[in-house]
Amino acid sequence: MSGCEGPQSVFRTGGSDAAQLEHLFLVMLAGAVVLWLGINGLFYYASRVSARPVSRARVEALILGGGVGLPVVVLTALLVYGLSIMPDQRAPGDGLRLRVTGEQFWWRVEYWPEGAEAPVVSANEVRLPVGRRTEIELAATDVIHSFWLPALGGKTDLIPGRVNRMSLEPTEVGTWRGQCAEFCGLSHALMAFQAITLEEAEFGAWLAREAQGLAPEARTAEGYAIFTAQGCGGCHALRGTEARGTVGPDLTHVGGRATLAAGILPMTADALTDWIRDPAAFKPGVEMPGYDHMDPDELATLALWLEGLR
Amino acid sequence: MTARRHSAGGEQEFAEERASLVRITFGPLIWAMHFLLSYAGAAVFCAKFPHASEHLDLLVWGIGLATLVALAGIAWQGQRSFHQWRKGNEDSLIEEDADGSSEDRHQFLGHAALLLAVISAVGVIYTALPAFLTATCR
Repeated sequence: MSGCEGPQSVFRTGGSDAAQLEHLFLVMLAGAVVLWLGINGLFYYASRVSARPVSRARVEALILGGGVGLPVVVLTALLVYGLSIMPDQRAPGDGLRLRVTGEQFWWRVEYWPEGAEAPVVSANEVRLPVGRRTEIELAATDVIHSFWLPALGGKTDLIPGRVNRMSLEPTEVGTWRGQCAEFCGLSHALMAFQAITLEEAEFGAWLAREAQGLAPEARTAEGYAIFTAQGCGGCHALRGTEARGTVGPDLTHVGGRATLAAGILPMTADALTDWIRDPAAFKPGVEMPGYDHMDPDELATLALWLEGLR
Repeated sequence: MTARRHSAGGEQEFAEERASLVRITFGPLIWAMHFLLSYAGAAVFCAKFPHASEHLDLLVWGIGLATLVALAGIAWQGQRSFHQWRKGNEDSLIEEDADGSSEDRHQFLGHAALLLAVISAVGVIYTALPAFLTATCR
């Protein structure tokens, strides 16, 4: 059963919504097993144990009872049970709101604490407070995507031109993995993300740090000069600086994330170097151009500097 | 020997059979109208008052009323079909006589209409259930 473990499994739940879905699955499975045994048992009985003609009245009762009555009763019971848990799955959040926008092939993540007038912008990682229900608005700018965090809840599509809503209530601290679950192009399978669930106080401290702009000491480093000279700010934002691009992920605290390039590379200086040199080698169809013309030492300095942006 | 109601044959029999052929569509038609009314009603309501939970009762009761009307219509159609099917065919729950006479065809149409009425009633109830069990525009 090791396939059922791990950070991306519907059988290793870390939230109330996912636990409810797991329960739903087990109820359905038990029902299917009972039906399978019953039908095959009847087949066996009629063909092996007691293979003889039966009266017309008995056959009619069996057809009407087993073919019409029983399915209606079973399906009605399952429908009522399934519908009765839907309000919980769609309950409104109790404060924090996230807005996740699907891009080819990464996630734009905005945190809107209660009463906020501007969001705290991040990417490719969602952090959620344990014990609170967080509302998540889902949008897309290019094509259809789907936000799926099996350990915390069901999947919901991101559709250009509309805002879908879901809410999640993590119950356990941990690091989970999510995945785009609707084919969105060449690198759809490489569009993943991390979800980190934190105790509420810890989450609050993290969000306060995340809300800050680029640290003053980072601005005087050589890496910042290279970042500026290479024109990275045309696509990426470093809050509090001239770099205000919104085409790619916000990089203000990029080194603080657990993964690089939407869940596919570790957040290390080496991985950053390889990625910047040739992103398409890791993610076919990615919009970011390769920077293989850069001096290797400069590239390494830039990567090390980015990795240090916590 | 079953009774032959259609001994007159010809024009009158044809007209009567045509009427019962049209009648077998009544159950599914009521189901379709109820479905359209429920879903279109909910979509328009939730577009007009996306956050108005206090008005939601209105929608739920509206769908409830439409469901009762639809079920009453289907029940009326169902019992008519039941009599059309059972008359002169009291010995079996499943099959009508299969002599290929016009009376058998008449019974068959009644049987088909009854089964369609049953599935339409189940469909109407399943269509209405979400309104009562989820009752939210979210």
